This record gives sequence, C-alpha cells and structure tokens, in this order.
Amino acid sequence: MENNGEVETEDEIEDNSTTREIVAPGEVLTTDLEAYKRGRGTILNKDGTKIMSVLVGLKQIRNNYVNVIPLQGFYTARTGDKVIAIVVDKNPVKYRCDINAKYQAILRPQNAIKHRKKRRRRDKLDTEKFDIGDVLIAKIISADRLNSPELTLVGKYLGRKRDGICLTIDPPKVPRIIGRNGSMIKLLKSETNCNIFVTQNGRIWLKGDRFEYERLAIEAVYKIEREAHTRGLTDRIGEFLKQEKEKRGIN
Amino acid sequence: MMDIKRVISTIEKEYIKNNLEKGNRIDGRDLWEYREFDIKTDTIAAAEGSADVSLGDTRILTGVKYDIGEPYPDTPDDGVCTIMAELLPLASPLFEGGPPDQQSIELARVVDRGIRHADCVQTKKLCIKEEKAVYIIFVDMYVINHGGNMIDCGGISALSSLISSHIPKGKWTEDGPEWTGEYFSGDEIINELPIPVTFGKIEDNLFLDPCLPEQLVSEGRITISVTKDNITSIQKSGTTTFTTEQVRMLSNKAFEIADDLREKLDLWQYKSKQE
Amino acid sequence: MTLLIQDKYPEKLFREDGKRLDGRDKDDLRNIKMEVGVIKNADGSAYIEWGNNKIFASVYGPREVHPHHLAKPDKGILRVFYRMTTYSVFDRKRPAPGRREKEISMIIADCLEPVLFLELYPGTSFEIFIEVVDADGGTRCASTTVAALALADAGVPMRSLVTSCAVGKIDGQLVTDLSGIEDKAGEADLPVAMTWFNDELSLLQFDGKVNKDEFNEFLEMAEEALGQVYQIQLDALKRKYQQIRDNVQEEGGDPEE
Repeated sequence: MENNGEVETEDEIEDNSTTREIVAPGEVLTTDLEAYKRGRGTILNKDGTKIMSVLVGLKQIRNNYVNVIPLQGFYTARTGDKVIAIVVDKNPVKYRCDINAKYQAILRPQNAIKHRKKRRRRDKLDTEKFDIGDVLIAKIISADRLNSPELTLVGKYLGRKRDGICLTIDPPKVPRIIGRNGSMIKLLKSETNCNIFVTQNGRIWLKGDRFEYERLAIEAVYKIEREAHTRGLTDRIGEFLKQEKEKRGIN
Repeated sequence: MMDIKRVISTIEKEYIKNNLEKGNRIDGRDLWEYREFDIKTDTIAAAEGSADVSLGDTRILTGVKYDIGEPYPDTPDDGVCTIMAELLPLASPLFEGGPPDQQSIELARVVDRGIRHADCVQTKKLCIKEEKAVYIIFVDMYVINHGGNMIDCGGISALSSLISSHIPKGKWTEDGPEWTGEYFSGDEIINELPIPVTFGKIEDNLFLDPCLPEQLVSEGRITISVTKDNITSIQKSGTTTFTTEQVRMLSNKAFEIADDLREKLDLWQYKSKQE
Repeated sequence: MTLLIQDKYPEKLFREDGKRLDGRDKDDLRNIKMEVGVIKNADGSAYIEWGNNKIFASVYGPREVHPHHLAKPDKGILRVFYRMTTYSVFDRKRPAPGRREKEISMIIADCLEPVLFLELYPGTSFEIFIEVVDADGGTRCASTTVAALALADAGVPMRSLVTSCAVGKIDGQLVTDLSGIEDKAGEADLPVAMTWFNDELSLLQFDGKVNKDEFNEFLEMAEEALGQVYQIQLDALKRKYQQIRDNVQEEGGDPEE
C-alpha cells in the first residue's frame, strides 16, 4: 500500500543513542557540563552545575546533547502538523474542533473549500458543510502558545472521513506507530488489510474490510502504545499479528 | 477505546451501530456477556464494611458506616439503610465537582430501589429499641473510574460491602444503647441478593452491560433488578423506547443472567470473618 | 446519636518494649506502597497506601479552564481538589467538602506549583483530584506525595518530584511519621515537603510545642524520612515501564543491543 501522506517522524526509541535508562523529573542526568550540553526535556539546576530531567522518559545522548525522550505526554499544536479533528461546535462563521490539545482548534469555512483557486462566487461561505461529530483530517496553519490553532482542509489527503473508526493514543508514541521509515505502519496495513492514517496529535483513523481485521489492528495499535519504550517492537508486532491471525482463523 | 468527549464522532456512532447489527461488539464480547467482575472486600480499615468492585474499566469503591438514630414514626422498629453515590471528577473528564447531579442521584436511586424492594435488608434486626434507637446504615459508593454501566457495578459493590460488614450489636440500657461485644455480619444484614442487570439499546439492537463507548452512543438503557424469583425494580433511562415484547424478553433474560452471576460471583464468600 | 464503640485515645503511645503502638521504632516510617497509572480515564494517576491511608490522585490537563473567567492570560493555573470519602474516618464524614478539605487543597496546590512550568501554558488549567478513601493520620503528606506522582505520570514537565512526610512529638519523644492515633494524642506535628530540584521545603506547617533543639532535630529527622519516601516514589514511577519491559524480555523481546 502506498504512503498516503503520513508525517515523517523519527523513531528514536530504536536508535542506539537512546539508552535504556528510565529517568524521572528532577533526576540528575550528568554533572559533566564540559562534555555535554542540555537538550530536549532537560533543565539546568540553579547553580548551573547539573543537567536534570523534567520528564519521565528515556535518557538519550546525541552529538554531545543530553536529551530525554518522553514516555508520556500531551500534544502541543504546531504549524504544519496534520491532525485528526472532531467538530464539536459551530456558529455561522466558524467550526470549533477538538484536536486532543489544550485548546480547541478553529476551522473557517474559506479553509474548508477544496479548490480555492477555482472558487466561484456561488461557493457559499457558511458552516453548513460539516456537522457536529464529523471527523476531519486537517492541517494546522497557525498555532502559538496563546491562541486557538487554525486548521485548513486544503491540501492532499485532507478532508472528511465518512466511515472507519478513530482511536486516540498517547501523542509521544506516534513515532512508534509509524516506525523507522514507516516500517511499522506498513506492517500493520499489509497484515491487517486495513487502511490506516496516523497524525501527530495521537489520533489514528483506520478502516478495514472485515470487523475481525479491524479488531486485530486496534489491538496491535494498543500493544504498540503499551510497549512503546521497548526495542525490537516491529518484529514482535509482526509475530503477534501472524500468531493472532492463525489463532482467530482469519487469513 | 475512544476519546471520552461530550461529542461522539459520527463515524464512531456508525461503526458501533453497524457492527452491532451484525452481532459484533466493539470490545469483541457476545451480546449477552458481562465484562469481568473483580471483587475485593474489606479494603477500608475505617469503614464497617467495604468493597472495591471493578466491572471491566468501571471501578467503584463502596463503604458502609452506621449510626444510631431515632426510627421514622411510621416504622418504629425498622432500621434504615440509605445509599449514596458520588461520581468523582477524578474518575472521568465527563464528571464535574459540586453537589450531586442527576447521574449520581440516578445511580444511587436505582441501586437503592433494587435493594429496598427486595426487602433483603434485615431492618427488624437493625432495631435496638422500638421508637428509640435503630441503626442507620450508610452505603456510600464512590466511582473511581467510569467505563460504562455504573449501575450494575454499583449494585454488586453495594451488596458485597453490606455482606462484608461487621456492625457492632447493641442492646438497650437505661443510659441508652450499649455494645454487646458482638457484631452483625453477612446474612444478619441482608438475606437475599437482588442483582441489577442493565441492557443497552442502540436503534433496535439490545445487548447486556454497555461499555463506555456503547453507553455514550446509545439513546437509552434499561436496568432490571431481580432476586431469585421476583423483579424488584426497573429503570428505563434515556430517550429510547421499548416495545412490550422487548421488555418481556429482557426481563426473562435478566433472571437467567442474574442467576448465572449469583453463582459465578458467590458473594456470600465475602462475609466478614470478625465475630 | 452516639456510636456503640468509642474512638478512645490510649494513655500511652509507647509499649513496654519502647516501641510505638504499631511496633515501629521512633524513626521508622509506616509501610508505603505506591503505583502509577491506576485510573485509566485520567491523563495521569497514582495510588498510595501509606500505613492505613489509602489515597487516589488523578491529573487532567493542560485543558481549557472552566469556568472561563478563572483563566489567566499569562500563565496556566493549578487547581487541587482534596476530598475524603464519607467512610474514610471513624465518624462518618458529611459528604459535602468542609473547610479542612479546602484548606488542605490550597496547601497542596501551593506546595506543588513551584515545580511546574505554568508560564508555558497560559490560559489553561491543570487539575489534580485527590480522594482519600481511608484515612489514618498524615493524609496531607501522603496526598502531596501521590499528587506529585500523578503529575509526573501525566507527562507534565516538572522541575522535580515533590515528597512529603511528617515528624512529631509523642509522649515527650520525637518520632517520624505519626499515625492517626499518635497525631490525635501526640503533642506536636510538623508536616513538611521537599522539592528536589533545589532541595528546599515547599510545605511547612507546625502545630504543638517544641523547644529550639527539638525543632532542629525535627528537621534532620524529616530530611532522612523524605529521602526514603522519595526512593519509593521514583521506584513506583519507573516500575510501570520497567514491568512491561521485563515481561517483553521474558518473551524474548527487547534485545540488549
């Protein structure tokens, strides 16, 4: 199955720069500040003599930087991210969408019309197109710390989903669902015959031609989420899918 | 499974409904199958009785306390048993703090009616002196995690906490009630097990024990509390309607399911060991 | 009306053999067990058993503030709701929250705020719900400890964990971690909490009467006890992941290299 516009993410857990050491907020990662610099998920103590973690995560040392790869966390909207959004409210000039982030996102009707260049006068700019509860694959066109992010549906692979099911997982685990160079998601798609779309806000849309396959895909997704901090995951999931298919007699 | 939001996505609704029509449930269960019950009793040291009951992802902690008070004038030799429920905001983003709302009152009322009309609480035994002193038994349920069908979980939890209770026995003296040194427990407090059985309804599909996604999607449900031989309370809630044929079918099913459950859970094993 | 059995205070808080009523030495903590991820619906959660105290905590956030007027434009807000179940104490507690619960909620919020980066989440709120289901002295300390754990479990960036414990004076002697009965019948009680990123105290209340020397000894005893509780906290937080890894390794997965 071809790549249908998934995001490129880096699967850092399988990378050799990530150690197996689980750290907690406030734990000292290093006191050797000549050799290391503080990276993501870390702070310096008050005297500037220690690098400490601010998260529960795995310690990573890469290019002299000490980082912490989070094992749990929430989604923060960033411009350019693709997200699965659920329409939760609307008024005549805009839709409000839940994107699994701390603020609801806004979708204006002019951003919900597919071919903007060909837009005619008769294209109505109202909010009749979608209903509350509709599931949209959208892109964030603006996001900052203070304001509601804005969405657009203009772009490849964007638009409404009319069937299938939408799951939510812990956002830091999204790179694991995709895997190194998309290996995990390719495996899931080919072994379960499901169409799967993953977005950075921790949402996964999937649809298969049989209920049994969909259930298997859903179970595999949750297994990946649960075991996200362990290595060799793609091989294990491949094994799991084969075994379960045999056990359930679905081939 | 899905996000717990006030707004349920349209595709989710369709997915659950369409699969239900083919007899498939979102968590892979059979239509008339309960999720697993997990029961632990006597978990709270400060309470006279307690139960920690999980039904799938739903978890309710119930405690029993007592007080000695004056009986109601129309029932001078009857003890009183009151049931309260609180949906803690800790348990779900759908719950808000503050005074009890309709949902928690319904939970408490349905569980209470199921037990009350089975006449299984030994109210006559819970009297120390006519018109003067009777027991007031408080059964307080706290929802720790909401995974759908709180009523059945609450019902089992209330029964197991009552069975596990050890309530000091009192006698009447001139100075008022005094402890005899013994305790009430198990069948001295309740002598029968009215089990609430809740069915969900999505369009024309009926099924047992709605899980949270099913409960959020369904328009309504019906709870039928049954003892071995009698129906003791029914609560239809939500905006759905049932045909008389459906109600007849479900009430027969409720007896069957409750019998199985009574046997499987064997709640009497939780009787307090304290004498 | 009265209950049949009375909650009586013992005359002595030490046994003949010099141990405390529950068999502990003066500087012993009660048994402490913690676990994270116990409430599936929450963004983060934790459970603690500290002696007979049993407490759940769950965290939701960052999320939009309801009611909206409480939101601050320059930083996020932290709200803590400490509550007790009716059956958690000897005399059934009234269901509505009392003044004590509100005060402790505030104390815990003030204690935890220094470790959070609230300035990064303007207009949002973090909510911590704490439910004491069984109480036996020292619930504010256990609650602070379990709340910090739930925050970390939610993946909220924190400068460090926060750990809390009490020291006190009973029958003229200084002891660590007062039980319910010792708290009621004792002479002094000093709950403290430590924020580990700067090793400073962020909760400090004192009730009772002690002299200067005793107070200094109190602080030393508290530091010792806090260190022990902190280790249990760290272990609980990591165990959630370590256990899954161990299971996977048992099945031959997660190779070392």
